[in-house]
Amino acid sequence: MSVIENIKMALSSLRAHKMRSILTMLGIIIGVGSVIAVVAVGQGGEAMLKSQIVGEGNTIELFYMPSDEELQTSPDVMSPFTQEDLRAVESIPEVTQVVATSSEFGSVRYRENTLDSSITGINQAYLDVNELEVASGRNLLSADFLGGRRTAIVSASFQEELFDGKNPLGQVVYVHSQPVEIVGVLKKPTGMLAFGTNDMYLPWNTWRTVFATNDISQVTLQADNAEDLQKAGKKAAGMLNQMHHTEEAYQVMNMEEIAAGIGQVTRVMTIIIGSIAGVSLLVGGIGVMNIMLVSVTERTREIGVRMSLGATRGQILFQFLVESVTLTLIGGAVGIMLGGSAAAIVSYFAGWPALVSWPVIVGGLLFSMVIGVVFGILPANKASRLNPIESLRYE
Amino acid sequence: MIRLQSIVKSYPIAKEQVNVLKGIDLTIRQGEFTAIMGPSGSGKSTLMNIIGCLDRPTSGKYLLHGERVSQLDENELARVRNRSIGFVFQQFQLLPRLNALKNVELPLIYAGKPKKEREELAIDALDKVGLSDRMNHLPNELSGGQKQRVAIARAIVNQPDLILADEPTGALDTKTSIQIMELFTMLNQEGTTIAVVTHENEVAEHAGRIVLVRDGILVQDDRTAVNKGEDAE
Repeated sequence: MSVIENIKMALSSLRAHKMRSILTMLGIIIGVGSVIAVVAVGQGGEAMLKSQIVGEGNTIELFYMPSDEELQTSPDVMSPFTQEDLRAVESIPEVTQVVATSSEFGSVRYRENTLDSSITGINQAYLDVNELEVASGRNLLSADFLGGRRTAIVSASFQEELFDGKNPLGQVVYVHSQPVEIVGVLKKPTGMLAFGTNDMYLPWNTWRTVFATNDISQVTLQADNAEDLQKAGKKAAGMLNQMHHTEEAYQVMNMEEIAAGIGQVTRVMTIIIGSIAGVSLLVGGIGVMNIMLVSVTERTREIGVRMSLGATRGQILFQFLVESVTLTLIGGAVGIMLGGSAAAIVSYFAGWPALVSWPVIVGGLLFSMVIGVVFGILPANKASRLNPIESLRYE
Repeated sequence: MIRLQSIVKSYPIAKEQVNVLKGIDLTIRQGEFTAIMGPSGSGKSTLMNIIGCLDRPTSGKYLLHGERVSQLDENELARVRNRSIGFVFQQFQLLPRLNALKNVELPLIYAGKPKKEREELAIDALDKVGLSDRMNHLPNELSGGQKQRVAIARAIVNQPDLILADEPTGALDTKTSIQIMELFTMLNQEGTTIAVVTHENEVAEHAGRIVLVRDGILVQDDRTAVNKGEDAE
């Protein structure tokens, strides 16, 4: 007797008592649904936290943290990155972009007004990695970077404070007594927590002339994906340490460790809450067992008839087992759908991705089957142990 | 075909072993139509359960087709019931949620026959009992006589050697009873061995042999045919 035959038979028996079957399934639906929802919300939260650490641009910053010893022995420790460093890091195959910036805080003069502002020299890659959206005027162009032209873009807050809101485009300001022309104004930052800061961005070559130094204060790498990024970061740090004869002065933050740490925390949370939800699944399973026991008693005569027609005890056992597994499997499938929807709604309001992954779905279905088998085996066993003669006489 | 030798069956009732069958010797040959009669409590149902392989004797030897059935395990007994025996019950014992055709198909499912073959054989069997026009009806849409005919179709669908009927007309009116017994007679003429348990003389009249059981022993075995004088009650 085939499994399909048994499943068809099980479905028809379940259909014969629709209300009872649905109510029994409800226990499984709520149990599976709540576990799925908890896991999906948990995994979504984990993914969100991880993506926030790694950042959307797949970038990693190189740190320069020399030890005290190294500070004393190396002559060039005060200038963390050089042009050679930059070129060396660019040659790493996994690296797609190298962003170099140098920053100083200084005063900027326009006619008789001065303003304290951060003045940042950026290379062209900076514009690819960080979005600087220009509200008026134009952005910095290749020609500005390559030629070291004396052009700059400034933040909206810079414009308001130094130019009193007037049009700054084409105006010349002085940084360290060096003239620089404003060519663009950035958009105001949006969002509740964003507040305007005074910023000025110069092409790196210009910055170098203005401040008369070749130092690069910050280097950020970009790669195609998180895995390459981690690899590239390690290679870059190793390379720079070698070039500068330092032990561990150049470092990258180990994103994997941090992400793994966060993953650990969220996973433990998910397991704790999931286990609580799992209790309802246990209750649902007991409900299935209860109803299957009732069903076996009610169908005593059917069992007797089947046995007299040649059903073995094994076949009777299998029939009732298939019935309880069918019950829990349907409940599990509905539970996964409802749990997934609930997770989607929660995630929508929490603002992170809902992750109902395939392993969770397959795991949920398998677990429903296991529940069906575990709680179905007792009633099925009872059915298979009935005496055919007495069963045929059962009223 | 059936050979029972000193069959004893005892049940434990209140810590005592009560012998329901006290040494039955009975041989039924292929193609015979036997009526097993006896008052209630005589042990005739127990005898039938043993012949039908639903129960095993406490002691004694039961040979079916030369096979020592009394030594088979439960799974093998199930196989024997499926292949060699067709049951007809007083209360029809049709599964209420299955239509006539599906009910008749049941033994074939346990015989492992594929779906298409099952359907063909079941339709043939229903045809034989004259119910091919009712095969999609549920049991509660059929009359008592029709139900019993579906049950007979179910009993013969796997082409068993033996049909065992336990009070097959007990729930039917006289006219329908005669039709059912005529059906048995017809099947017997086609070569099927039939054993009917009954306490009605009218039913026993159709049989070529009447076996009388009383207090767990065989008291009379009349092969000459109809026994009108002996009151089974």
